[in-house]
Amino acid sequence: MNNITFIGLLFQILQFAVISVGYWNIFKKCGVKPYYAWIPFAREYHIGLCANREKEARTYTIIAVLSEVIGVINNLRNDGSSFSLIVAVIYFSLQITLIVYMIRIYLGLIEVFGRKKRWLFGFIFIQMITTLIWGLSPKFVPRKKVEDPSAEEGVKVSGTEAPVIESGLTVNITERKVIDFFRKKVLLKDIHMNIPKGHMVLLLGGSGAGKTTYLNAVTGYEKADATVKLDGQDIYTDYAKMKYDVGFVPQQDLMRGNDTVALTLTDAASLRLPSSVSFFQKRKRVNEVLEEFGLATVRNSLVEKLSGGQRKRLSIAMEYISDPTLFILDEPDSGLDGVVARGLFEKLRAIADQGKIVIVITHTPDRVIDLFDDVIVLAKDASRTGRLAWYGPVDEAREFFGKDSMEGILLAINQKDEGGEGRADEFVEKYTDKYQKEAG
Amino acid sequence: MEIDTTKHTGRFPQMIIYLGKLFRMFIFQNDWKVLPMSAIIAGLVSFAVGADLFKTMEGTLMGTFALACVCIWNGFFNSIQVICRERAIIKREHRSGLHISSYIAAHVIYQSVLCMAQSAITLIVLYYTKVSLPTKPLITSIAVFDLWLTIFLVTFCADMMALMVSALARTTTTAMTVMPFLLIFQLVFSGGYFSLPAAAQPITNVTIAKWGLTSLCAQGDYNSLPMVSVWNTMFKMKDVEVEGQKPVLEMLKYAEQNNMKEDILMQTASYNKIENYNFDPSVVYRCWRWLLLWILVYIAVAVVSLEFIDKDRR
Repeated sequence: MNNITFIGLLFQILQFAVISVGYWNIFKKCGVKPYYAWIPFAREYHIGLCANREKEARTYTIIAVLSEVIGVINNLRNDGSSFSLIVAVIYFSLQITLIVYMIRIYLGLIEVFGRKKRWLFGFIFIQMITTLIWGLSPKFVPRKKVEDPSAEEGVKVSGTEAPVIESGLTVNITERKVIDFFRKKVLLKDIHMNIPKGHMVLLLGGSGAGKTTYLNAVTGYEKADATVKLDGQDIYTDYAKMKYDVGFVPQQDLMRGNDTVALTLTDAASLRLPSSVSFFQKRKRVNEVLEEFGLATVRNSLVEKLSGGQRKRLSIAMEYISDPTLFILDEPDSGLDGVVARGLFEKLRAIADQGKIVIVITHTPDRVIDLFDDVIVLAKDASRTGRLAWYGPVDEAREFFGKDSMEGILLAINQKDEGGEGRADEFVEKYTDKYQKEAG
Repeated sequence: MEIDTTKHTGRFPQMIIYLGKLFRMFIFQNDWKVLPMSAIIAGLVSFAVGADLFKTMEGTLMGTFALACVCIWNGFFNSIQVICRERAIIKREHRSGLHISSYIAAHVIYQSVLCMAQSAITLIVLYYTKVSLPTKPLITSIAVFDLWLTIFLVTFCADMMALMVSALARTTTTAMTVMPFLLIFQLVFSGGYFSLPAAAQPITNVTIAKWGLTSLCAQGDYNSLPMVSVWNTMFKMKDVEVEGQKPVLEMLKYAEQNNMKEDILMQTASYNKIENYNFDPSVVYRCWRWLLLWILVYIAVAVVSLEFIDKDRR
């Protein structure tokens, strides 16, 4: 190793150490675990968290790792060949990307610390000194700290499973978690319930309370640490078979606009109905469903020519065609006016009355609440985990929360920074106690 | 209604369902437009480089390169958006029991029919615009059919590459951003028209353009064609004077008066033969094998990547 290389290496070590000291103190100020300052790549991600630029930090870290790998290859094969030239060009391109992302992150940091943008030049040209100043000087204080929900103690759990019922849906979700970039996130926890057949259930919860996660866990689409049984049959272990007994209607009308109504429904029938059903039976079923959903008059129209209400009915009909026992709808009334929406919910009530289980998410529940039997209320607890704050009849829910409307309940459980009353923990705990008492 | 939940529509019937959907879309949507578009592009290429195609070495190299590029362009445009534009719908249908392999198989069949039609249209346009097409068959007994097969394979291979990109991309914007990059890569690294350093030669194997160009040149019997660039250069230099005389002009006059021009052109060509473009079935078979290999790779990647569609965020 010659002297220049040795001095270069020493400088790099010194640079890493000085920046780490600066970061250590910045992390402490921001509420991030300071030891990350000494871990390459992780420290870049966490400075992004301090800067309130999580998305950029994520991309930066991935590109930094990639860049490092390419850099190593570049050093190993730096023989002037075409290959090393290509590697060098890629490395150079990645470095440009890194600079752009670093600028974004530092701009975020400057904003969080409420400083002037000219500090950006400090971070670019004299990074060591600037990070040291920001870390060590008590004058540099962030206006916003990094939230670490996992550090918060969650509300107590019941841990008592609901007994399996032979006719209906039994949900026992212990936990649904994901590992997301250095962090474990618990999305749902301790949800136990039995929904009998013939019930129409409202799924209520604020933004991020885990409504979609709950539905995906119940349908087996995204498996949780849970047991979900429909008529005593395990949805998770028999998913390949059970998925045909679960109809999920997404929020958007996901259909091909350039196909006709009848053909869209015929194809849905071919996909969802068992192969033992003959072509004539399928055609009969398609005609029945077209009549039932008031689409017979537009059967030869292109889907893109339908009105919002008709399109929504077709979307529901596509799932209904296979006569599923469990029927789930994610905001079926979005974009529909009050009268059309009411008509749609009355149709769903009729489906439930046929002995089906209908679970619906809607953001305007009060105009149709008389059609529902039960309500599931999901709320974010202190650790930002989706928890069950209520499951039971609608009238009892009003009494439980001391509110006379569903929107009032939603307001009570929503976090204060979302304009709510921030009483989620109180109701989750109260419901857990009630559930444990009833379960004995 | 009593439902037997044990067996549902299998992969093959599902493929038929989607094939029906795709052909309906061909009529009702704008997919049919790719056919007249391929005729227009073929016409433009014929106008620009058709005069010397399969007549001289230089014209053949330039013309077959342009023809391969046209095929790649057609293939790319056929399918670059077909999957990503309906990704959310596929996700819903996958949830309802759709087999991804059936879905891709339907696209593969549908696109192959489109490519066959486009290849035929391209050849018809070349024929009617008086482009001299090869007459000596190499693989089958009909030379034009051999040519059609190559054009089809190049178009289809590019189509499958675009289908793969469409399956990998989450949005049409991403797919359309990637497409020009792939196109430039195909053009630059074809290894036939642009000279590349020896180290970059292995990269040429991954390009569709290389195998298309090689196969077309071989089928056009590139190595038996005259080379005109030396003669043309000499013609440009005819007035160069050396010690008061014009030796180049004298030489040209002498060659023409003695009917030696063709011999000179052929002699020049003999020093510029390219072994890879030999009029030999094994050359064409090799190109077709490579194209088929890449077609299979692209289809496999499309299927595997789309199997993860459930991971898409809402």
